[in-house]
Amino acid sequence: MKILVVDDSRVMRQIVIRTLRQAGFGGHDIVEAEHGLEGLSVVRAESPDLVLSDWNMPEMTGIEFLDALRAGGSTVPFGFVTSEGSEDMRARATASGALFLIAKPFTPEAFEEVLSAVLVR
Amino acid sequence: MIAVEEPSLDDVYAVVEEVWTTFLGSDEPILPAFEPQPGPIEGWTAAVTVTGAWEAMVLVTLGDRLSRTMTGRMLGIADDESSSEDLTDALGELVNVIGGNVKSLMAGPSTLSLPLVAQGAISTTSHLEEACRVDLTWSGDPLRVTVCVPRAEGEHR
Repeated sequence: MKILVVDDSRVMRQIVIRTLRQAGFGGHDIVEAEHGLEGLSVVRAESPDLVLSDWNMPEMTGIEFLDALRAGGSTVPFGFVTSEGSEDMRARATASGALFLIAKPFTPEAFEEVLSAVLVR
Repeated sequence: MIAVEEPSLDDVYAVVEEVWTTFLGSDEPILPAFEPQPGPIEGWTAAVTVTGAWEAMVLVTLGDRLSRTMTGRMLGIADDESSSEDLTDALGELVNVIGGNVKSLMAGPSTLSLPLVAQGAISTTSHLEEACRVDLTWSGDPLRVTVCVPRAEGEHR
C-alpha cells in the first residue's frame, strides 16, 4: 500500500514516517508533500491508499486539501495528524470526511490503534 | 467578546513535558528549573499566535546547543549533522505543537498561526503582556515557555 504524508515541516514528516515504522507499518511505500496544494498533485499522480495530513500549512491547509479532494471526487481514506485536537476541529474534520484525527504529540501506540483499521501490516 | 484567560503553569509544564518526551524519545525528563535564569535566554525563539475566542502568543526560547541537540534528536541524526534549515523547522514544529496543545486547553474556537522562528528575541505587540512563564531545564540547558495574552481593558501602554 502507499501512504501520502503531507506536512510543511520536514522534521515532522520524518517523525511521522518513523512512527509508522515503530507502529509496525514500515512495509508501505511513502510519498511526501509539503502542503495541501502539492498533496493534490501527488494524489493525482500517485493514487495513494491513505493520506496522513497536517492541518495548519501554508498554500493550502489540510482541511482545504480534504475538501478539494472530496469536491474532485476522490474518496481516498484521509486522516489528520495535527497539533490541534480540540473538539471543534475534530467535528470539522469528521464533517469533511476525515476518518480520524491524531493529535501531536503522538506515540506509536496511538498510530497502531487508529491505523490498524485502515492499513494492513 | 475575547476571553482573557491564561493556562496554569502546571498545564503548560505538562504539555511541554509530553511533547519533549514524545518527540525526543529521551529517558531524561525535562524538569522545572530549580534556579531559573533571571534574564533572557540567549539563542533562539519560536512563536505562534492564537486568534479567536482565546487570543495569545506562545513563545519558546532556548539556547543554541539545546536547539541543535533537539533538532538532531527529532530527525534521528547527530547534533552536528543538522542544517540551519533543519533547526528552524524543528523549532517551528516544537512551538506549533506546544501552542496547539495549550490552545486546546482554552476556550475555542480559535486559530493557530504558522510558526515564526528567529535567532534572538521575538518582541510581542504592546497589547500583550506575559501571563505565564515556565522555566525548564534539560541536560543542564535552559528552555523557557512564555504565554502572553491581551492586557485587561484600560491597561494598554
